[in-house]
Amino acid sequence: MQLQLIIFISMVGIFIAGCFLLKLPVSVSMVAAAVTGALVSGNGIPIRHLVEGTFGYLDTILVIATAMIFMKVIQESGALDALSSIIIQKFHRKPALLLILLMLIVMFPGMITGSSSASVLTAGGLVAPIFIMMGIPAVDAAAIIALGGLLGMIAPPVNVPAMIIGGGIDMPYVGFEIPLILLTVPLAILFVLMLGLKHVKNFNYEDLKSKLDTTDIEKYGFKIYIPIIVVLLLMILGKVIPDIISFGMPVTFLIGSFIGLFTGRKMNFIKISKEAINTALPVLGILMGVGMFIQIMTLTGVRGFIVVNSLSLPPALLYLGIAVTIPLFGAVSSFGASSVLGVPFLLALLDKNQIITAAGLSLIASLGDLMPPTALAGIFAAQVVGVDNYFLVLKKCIIPSLIIIAYGLLIILFSNQLASFIF
Amino acid sequence: MIITLIYRLIVAFVLFLTLWNLFTEKTLNKQMNAALVIIPLILRVLMIK
Repeated sequence: MQLQLIIFISMVGIFIAGCFLLKLPVSVSMVAAAVTGALVSGNGIPIRHLVEGTFGYLDTILVIATAMIFMKVIQESGALDALSSIIIQKFHRKPALLLILLMLIVMFPGMITGSSSASVLTAGGLVAPIFIMMGIPAVDAAAIIALGGLLGMIAPPVNVPAMIIGGGIDMPYVGFEIPLILLTVPLAILFVLMLGLKHVKNFNYEDLKSKLDTTDIEKYGFKIYIPIIVVLLLMILGKVIPDIISFGMPVTFLIGSFIGLFTGRKMNFIKISKEAINTALPVLGILMGVGMFIQIMTLTGVRGFIVVNSLSLPPALLYLGIAVTIPLFGAVSSFGASSVLGVPFLLALLDKNQIITAAGLSLIASLGDLMPPTALAGIFAAQVVGVDNYFLVLKKCIIPSLIIIAYGLLIILFSNQLASFIF
Repeated sequence: MIITLIYRLIVAFVLFLTLWNLFTEKTLNKQMNAALVIIPLILRVLMIK
């Protein structure tokens, strides 16, 4: 057996033991796995490499941290409540359309932050009671929210897995918008209708009406939406006129947060920011762990071992490998799967359109956020609706997950044909 | 120069919030997560790395 394979097995073994036997946080299990990998390879405990690994995700944690602050501000200001209320008021006569719009609200924070947890914990928490009031069972509601979080994470403008995969082959994150919309929006519509429509066909709006909180929109009017509009505008302008306006995501979110302090309910910004970081800490910690894990994989040659083996797979096995290994490696994290497996698979598919292929791979990698033990989106979604057993939610997500894999592979297979239409 | 300053201020702000969480958080898991997150933030604020 090759040394790299032994190192990899020992790392994965320690990770699983840390998560399941010792019940350690996923981030700490990853650090333990990284240290084990270094020790088995004879590198001792390479502090420099462990610290170096954390820097791989420094910009990502800044984006997530500031985005969480922004989401918390617009949640506290009443903007998210107002948005949900107005959508329900306008579209309650068309339950299918209402479900689709609520799904888009669930996806929205993930689209902005690139984190499924952000979607689930903010908009998911807000929309969950509405789903349940509409008659959707709690487990189905959790599954919709988890899938919404996943698809929000992959939808443009921010898709961290695609950034990671592209970064691995020095491909800039440019031109991903249309492929990512094509990948996520049809699935979002399909899943929310598949899981929710049968339950809401006969829902009574009058029952729901009394529970809707419309006080903020009545009190503050249109200005309550200004922070969301400003952030969207700055993001669009950053793409259209990057020479004049290119603040970067963290500054954009902080500007939006600052404006949000004056457009709705009053709040203590520092306290809200602290709560936002507290909510984001598990995700930020996992990113630090993933960084160390991957750095040690690189140091010990395990990453190269995986790349070489992926490149030498015959085409049929290559697609099977993508369908099986990427979601499974997602147990570590979807970002880790993107980095460790997404990059070699993209290299193995060089004859395909690279932007669409990377987008397709990122969609499949997103399933990592449903995969235990990490299962960030799934576990948080179960918590949000009050379901204790996450595996009930996971069971509901199996068919949608298979559809995600099949759709992702289909998009990759026909990426060249699609590219001729898109670009 | 100004961009670097703004960047450092943002990192410092996130570092402050993470440290605050580290010392006020009751659960050990979240404290461990916070401890991991502050490593690169401190080094970047001080421009050591």
